[in-house]
Amino acid sequence: MPLLSNKVITEVLYWVTRKKWLVISFLLSIILFYLPSPEGLLPEGHRTLIIVLTVLILIISESIPLPAVAILILIMEVILGVDTADGVASSFMNDAVFFIMGSLMLAVSIVHQGLDKRLALGIINITGNKTWRIVLGFVAVSAFLSSFIGEHTVAAMMLPVALSLIRNAGLETNKATPLSTLLLFSIAYGCAIGSIGTPSGGGRNVIMIGYLREFGLVNISYVEWMIFAYPLLLLEIPLAVLVLWFTFTPTQKIMDSAVRKLKVHVAKTGKLTGNQIMAILVFFLVFLGWVFLSPIIGLGIVALTGVFFYLAFGLIEWKEINRNTNWGVILLFGAAISLGIQMKETGAALWVAEKTLITLELIFQDVTIVRWFVSVVLTGILTNLLSNAATIAVLGPIVLDMGGDPLIIGISTSIASAFAYLTIVASPTCMIIHSTGLVTSSDFLKAGWKLFLISIVLLFLVSYFYWPLLR
Amino acid sequence: MKILIAVSSKEYSGPTLSVGMNVSRAFKAPTTIVDVGEKINEFSTKDVGMAHERIESWDFDRPGVDVLEWAFDYLADKEFIESSDIEAGFPKNTLVDTGGNRCEVYLKGTVCDNVSLILRNGDIIAELKDEVQKHHYDVTIIGGSQIRRMAHDLIQYIDSSIFVVNKYDLNQKYKILIAVDDSPNTRKAVKYGTRVSQAFNVPVEMITVSKKDEFGDGYTNAANWAKKFLRRSNISFGHQYLVGDPVQVIYEVAGDNHIIVMGSSTQNPLLKFFKGSKPLNVMETCKCPILIVK
Repeated sequence: MPLLSNKVITEVLYWVTRKKWLVISFLLSIILFYLPSPEGLLPEGHRTLIIVLTVLILIISESIPLPAVAILILIMEVILGVDTADGVASSFMNDAVFFIMGSLMLAVSIVHQGLDKRLALGIINITGNKTWRIVLGFVAVSAFLSSFIGEHTVAAMMLPVALSLIRNAGLETNKATPLSTLLLFSIAYGCAIGSIGTPSGGGRNVIMIGYLREFGLVNISYVEWMIFAYPLLLLEIPLAVLVLWFTFTPTQKIMDSAVRKLKVHVAKTGKLTGNQIMAILVFFLVFLGWVFLSPIIGLGIVALTGVFFYLAFGLIEWKEINRNTNWGVILLFGAAISLGIQMKETGAALWVAEKTLITLELIFQDVTIVRWFVSVVLTGILTNLLSNAATIAVLGPIVLDMGGDPLIIGISTSIASAFAYLTIVASPTCMIIHSTGLVTSSDFLKAGWKLFLISIVLLFLVSYFYWPLLR
Repeated sequence: MKILIAVSSKEYSGPTLSVGMNVSRAFKAPTTIVDVGEKINEFSTKDVGMAHERIESWDFDRPGVDVLEWAFDYLADKEFIESSDIEAGFPKNTLVDTGGNRCEVYLKGTVCDNVSLILRNGDIIAELKDEVQKHHYDVTIIGGSQIRRMAHDLIQYIDSSIFVVNKYDLNQKYKILIAVDDSPNTRKAVKYGTRVSQAFNVPVEMITVSKKDEFGDGYTNAANWAKKFLRRSNISFGHQYLVGDPVQVIYEVAGDNHIIVMGSSTQNPLLKFFKGSKPLNVMETCKCPILIVK
């Protein structure tokens, strides 16, 4: 009788092949733990970097669930002696996490109101029936809305509008055509562009604002952020339309009948309901709260206040919020921010920053270019592989320790993390349009690399010529 | 006996569904047709779910439903499901979410007990393994894949017999080629091969391949048993003893007009993992469908 049956060996093999990156990260962390700390790095910093490496491997490989990665961060921080349990707990929950939690719940509440048909009518009324104008309308409306609401909310509402136009144009909604690709990318790229516009455009902006404040570098208000970022957003819209149009040029230059059918369909839904009016009003109040109250009570508390009103007014039920909120992501971002703070406090961020500057200076010969390269190009690349908020949570403390103007470096990094144009996993918006089966990963590369380069050049120009005027 | 048929799209899965349902008919087996959609990144699962709910409210089907609808139309066209189900049309509204990214529709079968249509999302091997493990399927039928790792994983990890419908031409007449040797799964392979030949109404060819010039008792006993079984089943068959590398010989005999049936390897899974196995090598080499019986 063999010690282990073939079935057990097969199960073990299956587990090992599926969890190989977990095993590799575990072994790697043990090896690194027993290596002496590099010169200039405290043992706590050394151990923090071990956690960072482990977490990056686990997030990219997706070998364990995201909430498990989050829990692992907290466990490793305590077990490796980076901080006490109470210290870790206090760094885990802050206003940025409140904001991410609040904005995800707000997203569920807003999408639940079924405002997408109103949105469709609004867009069509503005753009008319020319395809290029509809594409411009899609990009502009997606960008404008996602600068306030959050990109995944806008994408969820815009997706049926795009599919409806595709169907009304006489095309199949399960077969890719240049028109379907064009409309879907208009949503995804519009949302990505828009998310840089205000702090509430994405959790990563709030994480960066939190770091800037927490590390005692600078305080930036909601409106100040908009003054910095909105011009770039406006410049990007027409460029994105041009890139998309010339990459996925459709044969249908006019969508007369599609637009007419959409209008008829939307008209059947009748007027705005009381709940919808109330939902819009609550969100408008949240926006005012972000603008005027966030310096006092924080962006997160304002977002949670909005959620409170949605629940208290009966605009949504808790079970609906509970079902559609990604609690795992909230846990992960909380843990990633905690790790970012530990990187700063243990000197790990400074050590990485110095080493990076020294190494890259040999290539670029200019420290300003090196700073810019790391904060923008590296962030842009990482965001396409990881997740934009996780990228900022980990890279934020490093770039802020590189010297230079922390505000310019901070906002540049945050904005670059929105250049999620290249891969499906870059952002939930990319995944949403990909899930329709109408866009492939090669489509992302086709248009994405052009917009990625254009966005980097634009960001360079804005940060060197416009932002210094505001300082 | 329960059968699982994995389909992916109407463009590529027609032969798989056709072969799969014929096999189901032969075994009169409850059958499930599953479409495994692409894995959704964990950061985005809820957002994608929310977007899909919105498109459903605009009367669009969530991705993957079109594949099930196509499968339903096939079942209706060939009368694999009862007329009351056919008349009611594809019941997308009764697509029940059974949790864990899995939705299911039940239909009453005609030639087989019942037919279920399932939609899952995720890594194909993980999803099929989970489906087979939880619902105890005996045969998993799937289209051919060019990815070596996928063929390897299917054979290594899915705990059922595997029928890979590789390069199947619906207009071609196939014969059944059963590889008989002294492995423990040979008898089961012969039984399955017999049923498949009855389903497709085609003759059986059997081969016993040895690397050496002589054939041991194990080989001859297995061949004699197989011949007796086929005679009793009233199947027309032929048998040859051949010498050479088994993979190469099976490849040459099978050509592109046989459905190969062979028992799975019983060697240590670690050896199979690193060195591969005879069925895996046959599957990768041959240009025709293959049923590997576990």
